[in-house]
Amino acid sequence: MDKDDFLLLKIFFPNIQLSEEEQERFKALWSIKTFKQYDLITEAGSIERNFYIVLSGVQAIYVLNEKGEKVVLGFSYTGSPSGVFDSFVRGEPSKIFLEALKPSKLLSISKSDYLDLFQNHPSFFEWGHHFFQEVLFGRLSREVELLTLTAEQRYISFMQRCPDELKVIPQKYLASYLNMKPETFSRLRASVTL
Amino acid sequence: MAKLILTSENQIHRLNTVFNTVENLRGLPLDQLTKRINPNAWSVLEVIIHLNIAYGHYHQKFDEILPNLPNIDNEQTKFKCRTWQKFVIEGQRPKNNVRKWKMKTLKRFEPIIDMKKVNELKVNEVFDKFFELYGHLKNSILTSRTKDVSKTKLPSAIGPVVNFYLPESFEFLLCHLERHMVQISEILDELEK
Repeated sequence: MDKDDFLLLKIFFPNIQLSEEEQERFKALWSIKTFKQYDLITEAGSIERNFYIVLSGVQAIYVLNEKGEKVVLGFSYTGSPSGVFDSFVRGEPSKIFLEALKPSKLLSISKSDYLDLFQNHPSFFEWGHHFFQEVLFGRLSREVELLTLTAEQRYISFMQRCPDELKVIPQKYLASYLNMKPETFSRLRASVTL
Repeated sequence: MAKLILTSENQIHRLNTVFNTVENLRGLPLDQLTKRINPNAWSVLEVIIHLNIAYGHYHQKFDEILPNLPNIDNEQTKFKCRTWQKFVIEGQRPKNNVRKWKMKTLKRFEPIIDMKKVNELKVNEVFDKFFELYGHLKNSILTSRTKDVSKTKLPSAIGPVVNFYLPESFEFLLCHLERHMVQISEILDELEK
């Protein structure tokens, strides 16, 4: 792991105070995994074994509907956490896929090492509390948007907050995430000025 | 007839589900794995041996075909199964955990094992072989995601009367697996009575 990667890791855990020795041990728990475009990082039906932090690339989490179409639940991108959290926490097979939409480099920690962090450093509990609180708030806010906003409002809201690297992934993923047809997404992209 | 659209993601999901089921079977007592519910029926272990035999034909074909298919730059699109192939596939697919009709197994696919000589070592060998073979199927599905699968057909193990494009052959094998998972569940239910 180079200096920049470690910096990103430290930013991800802002309030964790570790001695130099502890920092080295902490660093050693993480490994870098690379994925090609369209690689399945986590497959539905398998158990998520890792917690990830994205160093580069964009990934989508999705489920398949009855027609076998991908229904996108969310994205991860540079600096964000990634993985299939419910499967990771419960240790049960996932119903969700995690796929690299762009070539991706992820920092990865195994479940046992992740749990050891909490065991050995109680300050991680505080981090965990804030982290899962943010995840919950994010999901609630998305649910409200999906249930209350029009397609155009959802498009505008999303485009205003989403990072640039997400704007270049195939439109069908963005359309699915916003619960609209790719044709609608395309029409809005052409007609709405942000 | 409704279209049958095949996607590698759906196939991977279902294959992983079968893996989880078979992994759980591995932990069953020897007696449960080897007992027949009647003299003409297969035991759980014999079903797994049959599945191992059934993959043999495809193992070689996939190794021959996949490296020679052209790569595609785009994401793999959905594959529409052809009518006759769909009919053959649907004949295998269980509906609501029920096998629609029972079929006579071709002689060459019948499991031959002396149950008196089966021990835990042998059982482990059979399960290891299963995961090796169907792990190969999984890798083949994953590899096919970046290949143009509309270029080459392969004959099915049934004979030249049915040929498959790769996604059709994957689907056939999956439905065959799912069919036998239902059979295993029926055997275990009977043994519990």
